[in-house]
Formats: sequence, structure tokens, C-alpha cells
Amino acid sequence: MANQETQLLDEIIVSSRRKMLTLGVSSLAGLALGASATSAKAAPAYTDADILNFALNLEYLEANFYYLATFGTTIDKPNAASMAAGAPAITLSGTVGTAGTVSGGSQVPFTTTQVASYAIETAVEEGKHVQLLLTALGSSAVAQPAINLGTSFPALATAAKIPGGSGFSPYANDQAFLVGAYVFEDVGVTAYHGAASLLTSSANLTTAAGILAVEAYHAGLVRTTINYIDPTGASIASYTNLISTLRAELSQAGLLGAAPSAYDANPDDFGLATFSVSLGSGANTTATRITDADSTNVIAFARNTTQVLNIVTGGGAVNGSVAVSPATGVFFPAGMNAGPNGFK
Amino acid sequence: MANLSSLIKSGVSRRKFLAGVGASAGAVAALNIAGCGGSSKTTPVNPSAPTDADILNFALNLEYLEASFYLYAATGSGLDAADTTAGSASTYQTVGTVTVGDAAAVTGLTPAQQQILNEIAFEEQAHVRFLRSALGSAAIPMPDIDLSFFGPLAVAATITTAATGAGSFNPFSSFDYFLVGAFIFEDVGVTAYSGAAPLISPAGVTAGYLTAAAGIMAVEAYHAGYVRTSLTGRAIAAGSAAAYPYLAAANLVEALRATLTVGDSAAPSTSGSVETLLTLPTGLTTPSSIVAASAADAVGFARTVNQVLHIVYGSPTVGVKSGGFFPNGINSIFATTTA
Repeated sequence: MANQETQLLDEIIVSSRRKMLTLGVSSLAGLALGASATSAKAAPAYTDADILNFALNLEYLEANFYYLATFGTTIDKPNAASMAAGAPAITLSGTVGTAGTVSGGSQVPFTTTQVASYAIETAVEEGKHVQLLLTALGSSAVAQPAINLGTSFPALATAAKIPGGSGFSPYANDQAFLVGAYVFEDVGVTAYHGAASLLTSSANLTTAAGILAVEAYHAGLVRTTINYIDPTGASIASYTNLISTLRAELSQAGLLGAAPSAYDANPDDFGLATFSVSLGSGANTTATRITDADSTNVIAFARNTTQVLNIVTGGGAVNGSVAVSPATGVFFPAGMNAGPNGFK
Repeated sequence: MANLSSLIKSGVSRRKFLAGVGASAGAVAALNIAGCGGSSKTTPVNPSAPTDADILNFALNLEYLEASFYLYAATGSGLDAADTTAGSASTYQTVGTVTVGDAAAVTGLTPAQQQILNEIAFEEQAHVRFLRSALGSAAIPMPDIDLSFFGPLAVAATITTAATGAGSFNPFSSFDYFLVGAFIFEDVGVTAYSGAAPLISPAGVTAGYLTAAAGIMAVEAYHAGYVRTSLTGRAIAAGSAAAYPYLAAANLVEALRATLTVGDSAAPSTSGSVETLLTLPTGLTTPSSIVAASAADAVGFARTVNQVLHIVYGSPTVGVKSGGFFPNGINSIFATTTA
């Protein structure tokens, strides 16, 4: 039975260990081929199950968002619309951690075939990812934590300085839905990318790479569609810049102690604003930014778990330069459910 | 990226290890390649034990091709000569040439369309430069590339007669034709990186190669997402499959790629295939088919080196070592297909 003192000590040990691990992970995940990386393999404590459980929390979040927006129901309560689309009805078989409820969210009154059909496809695919991870993890799978898909969006939109953000709902119409989807998709890419090199089983690596590809297809889909609707950045495309800036700031804080100025010089997220490129031996010209990647090597970004947690909790994972565990806020009001040793 | 010599050393010693240990190491390699998304597959295994440099150089061959295509489409000319040269330590020293054919800047583009072409061209060019930089003196030069192969490929896919009516297929003649041309490469790029990533050595993982390969794969998937979303969206806007024949043309490309994917050559969207057909959503309750992934669990596909080569060589023949987009083969120990 832990008294207050030992509990505090435990927390300090856990938090400093976590910080160390996080830094090790980040140097591995973030470096691409640039830096010398000999000492980067510093995160041995986490098992593949811990990493896949982290991913499962994110898939619970994404899948419920798309199910609610598309079918008006959560992943575990099939209705006529979800069954007609072939979306898997998820048996919430995960038991590790504390099961929570999903709040907020409602069916979008779609009016365009483009956006409605994309929403259905994405919902089905994210549902399959939940199913896949639940099956792969078996009795190690975490329970679905409390998920807020209602007030979380206006909170994030306000933090991102989206005009009228306090009244923002991704369920209002086709365009708002795309903005809501934009919040998630690039983050999924960076999370799977960051996790890939931590996995020890090659079968898990191959699966994670395959899911990473699917998240990037989704991200490309969302960014392409926003670009088609708003090619000049007059409306929703400008929101992508605001959201990406916020994500980059939260991600930067997740590095725990890196100089704040590093953000401006080297953000790890870009919205749809055009940028200048040089092609072949020719002069500079203007390019869109469908791909969310760095401007030099054009390799998609990777984030460590603290960076991802800080984004999906709206800053709840970091206090100053210290990781907070469990990280709570925004989409995960009670925090994620971690695996045996896992990320919270 | 300095340390190529240590990279090569680790690759060589790994190869020795593989040769010495034989069965068990080979079994690991087979597992690496085969385990795609839980579906039971009969994917053939590449028998050689490549170094990390071999794997990166294989990718560089493909990036030379993609970059050349997109740069011509965006600007009317190809890679800067400085981006095509041979590394001093490369086995391959002859810089190839591009057979241009109809390749030219696509005309009639809206500003937004031009900016998309610029983006993809820039990003593939960046991948060429990145891989060359990572490989340093071991970088292969650009091989001979034939951009006039789109015509024969389209004929093989029966695109000219079945899909787009009169006139021969030319991906540089309009934005929609360009999308179909891009479609030939993009899903393949995703599967190529997905298939190659698990081959990277433990030392290469520590050096960041796996992360880099995964990150490039993600970019290829962004591109594929763009191309597939555009084809689907423009078909929806046109109102019917007949009014927008490019969607069907892209599916014919898939069917051809499937026949060339030796070992997984089932028809697209059927069991055993690594292709997902595009569909035309007809209303607010039908799904699109943007993502190319397994139907069972929505995990992206992977292809082996051999399977990728069969596509870019335009031949399912085992033992083929050149053809198609690479008239004199790729600059790689993998150049000859072995399965």
C-alpha cells in the first residue's frame, strides 16, 4: 500500500524515466537520415503490445469520429446506416484500463457525393483498424477510454484561432466535417511513423507500415478535397494552416525542453498554404502542399508518443518541460488507457 | 549522411551472417516480406541478401523514373544533370539518358492544377536528392529511362480502345491523362517502399533508414491519395463513368499491374490481389474507394522487388532484366527478376 510519499516518489521516477525514453524515442523517430544516430536506440522498456495499444487509443478516437459523423452512431452500436455501408460492428473486447463513454458527435447532413462517399469509406477503414488491433492484441487490448467528440472541437478550434472557433462543429456540414477530419489524419501518419522503428516484430512492423500508408491515403484524400473546394485559401483551406500551426506548437512542447524558437525555424506540420519550389535546373515556382512533409527531403514527419499525446489532449501531456501522466484533456478527458507499461 | 562505409560494412557482415546461418536467417527474411496485413499470401522471396545501400539504390532507380516523369509534366524538362551523376564508388558509372517521346509540359492547366504538378515534381526530385545524399559515393547514376513507354503500356492495358475512345494515350496531353499516367506509378511506389522497409538491417534501423523509408512511403501514399481522389472526384463531378472515361482507364492500368505482379496477380479487388479498384460513388450512401488496402482489415499492400520490377519493365517473365520504362534495366543488383 503506497503512502503519499512513496506514491510521489513513484511518480517522479516514472516521469523522469518517461522523459528519458521520450527523448530517446524522439531522436530515433525524428532524425530521418540526417544526424548521427548511434545512441538513439534507447527505448527498450516498451513492448510491441504497448505501442499497438497506443495506436488502438488513437483508432478508437478516429473511428468513433467517423462513425458518428457518417452513421450517427458509435463503433459498438451498429445501426441501419453503418450496416448498409459494411462498417464493422465493434465488440469492445479490450479490458485493460478503464472503460469510458463516448460523448458528443452527430451525423453530418452531407449534401455532396464527394464528401459523403469519402466519409463512408474512411469510417469503414478506421473501424477495420480498430478490429485488427483488438484482434492482434487479444487479452492485452486496452479498453476504449472516455472520448469527447463534442466540446473538444470548439476548444481546439478556439486554440487554433479559427474564426468563430468557439461555435465550430465538424458535424455542421460537408466543409466543417473536412476540417474536423483534417485535425486527425496527419496526426495518425506521424504517430504510426514515429512508432514504426520501435516495433520489434517484423510482422507488426509490416502491419504498422500498411496502416501508416492508409492513414497517409486518408490525409491525402482530405487535403486534396479541401484544396479542390478552396483552391485559393479563402475559407477552409486557411483553417488548415491554423490547425497545423497549433499541432506543430503542441508537438514542439512534447519534445520537453527544446528551445521554443526551434518551432518557428522547424515546424513539423504544414497546412495547405502554397510554397516556393525550384524544379530541375529552372527558376522558382509555386507549389501546393497536399503532402505534409519537410521542405528539403520531403519525408513525412514522425512524432513520439508525448508529442502525439500533447496534440490529442490539447496540451495536457506537458507541464513546462515535464511530461504529465496521465495526459488528459480535449479528446481524452480521462486520458488514454495504457498497456502494461505503456504510454499515458 | 556521412557514414556509408560503415553502412556497407554492416551490410556485408550481415550478408556473411545470412550466408553462414542459412536457414534461420532466411526464414526471418521470408517472414519480413510475406507478412502483409494478415492476409495469407504466397509472395515470392527475393533470394539475395541485399545491403542497405542496395535497397536504397533500388529505391533511387524508381525515384529517378518518377521524378523524370513529373518534372517533364510540370516543366517540359527533366532532372538537373547534377542530380543524375554516379557516385565515385558505384559499380555503375554511365549516366543514362531519357527517351522523351511525347513528354512535355502538360498544357491547359488551371493555376491550381499547375501547382499540384509542381508539388509532386518537387517532392520526387527531393527524394532523388535525399537518397543520393544518403548514399554518397555509392549512389547509382540515373539509368536509361524511356518516357515513350506510356503508349505501349496503354495499349497493353487496352486503354486506347476501351476507355478513352479515339486517339492514343499520352499522359502529357491533358490534366486527366496526366492523372492516369501518374496513377501508373503512385500505388506502386507505396507498395515498393512497404515491401522494402522490413529488409533494412538492424544497423540501418538504428541509422534511421527505416524511419526514412517509412516517411517516403507516407509521401507516396499522400500522392496516391491525391491522384485517386482527383480521379474519383472528377468522375463524380462529370456525372457518370461514361462522361469521365479516365476512371475506367485507371482501373485498366490496375488490371495490367495485377497481371504483372507475379505471385499476387489475382484480379484487382479480389482475394490475393494487391490492388483496389477505383469506384464511382453514385450518391450520399455509397463509399468511395480512394485507399488501396486489403478489404479485410484496411492495411496497405506491399510488393517485393521482383513484383515492382515486373511492372516497370512491363513484363511478367521471370529472368527479365530490362524493358518498359527501363530499356537497359535498372542500376541494381536486383536488375534481373528472379521470381
